[in-house]
Amino acid sequence: MRWLRNPWLHRLLGLVLGGIFLYAAHAKILDPRPLVTIIWNYRILPPGPVNLMAIYMPWMELVVGLALVAGFKRRAAALCSVGLLVAFMVALGINAVRGVNVACGCFSTSAEDVHNAWLLVLRDLPMLLAALVMLVFPPSPRASSPARD
Amino acid sequence: MRGLVRDTVLLVFVTLVLGTAANLIPGRQLAWWGRGFEPPRAGVDFNFLDPGSADAMRTSLPRVVFLDTRSATEFASDHVPGAEEISYTDLGAALSPGRLGRLRSAGAIIIYGASEETDVEQLLAQELRRREMAPPYVLIGGFLGWQASGLPVEGGGQ
Repeated sequence: MRWLRNPWLHRLLGLVLGGIFLYAAHAKILDPRPLVTIIWNYRILPPGPVNLMAIYMPWMELVVGLALVAGFKRRAAALCSVGLLVAFMVALGINAVRGVNVACGCFSTSAEDVHNAWLLVLRDLPMLLAALVMLVFPPSPRASSPARD
Repeated sequence: MRGLVRDTVLLVFVTLVLGTAANLIPGRQLAWWGRGFEPPRAGVDFNFLDPGSADAMRTSLPRVVFLDTRSATEFASDHVPGAEEISYTDLGAALSPGRLGRLRSAGAIIIYGASEETDVEQLLAQELRRREMAPPYVLIGGFLGWQASGLPVEGGGQ
């Protein structure tokens, strides 16, 4: 399992996962208002905290994405990524069990962008694994090119 | 471990600062606690209508407007006779003043999506209510329900 601690692997995973988060945050940060409808359509949260999610979630994605790409506080960013991705997968999984295909709000804020919820859960799985590798197997301190975190 | 917790708190703090600052910018503000967002409510923002009743309304009432919220491709393939395509994601252009005036003078507005799995038709109904129209009808089962009832369709794919 030593290869999981390779600093270059962590840089690569950080770039890919961070890039995905930055891309995901882009449309939602430009205008978070359509995201309210999408979060509501998951039918999980009561109306109260729906707006809070729409206000802060895109910025969390941006901060996590920037940290992962830059290699700044990479393990903490990976921990936040795990939290975000588990939350996404639970929300999608609940709707998949219900048999409802939702507009996930992953990369767009279109309420018509409806996909199979199980496929969306599967799509998040590799990202969760990447985040877990960065979190659980930090680069070895004896490696020739240590990570900045 | 403490370092990880400290760094995570730092990232969350930065997120809170950025999110709060962004939500103070005029023109893109959201209410902090759910106010300003009310989910569409059946009986207030819209009423449900079964396909048979919708067809009876279509053939017996003047100026019944069907609004189709599906994609342009699906609409082109087949739709309820006389239905109009409307894009929920581009309502600014879709609800022009002329069209709004026409919708206000309609005998009834019936909105449908692809099936019961979509919510766009309810959200559109809520939007029409916000623009001071009578509660529209939302077709139970969407276009699939209409087809399953054996009711007429028109379009290039029939």
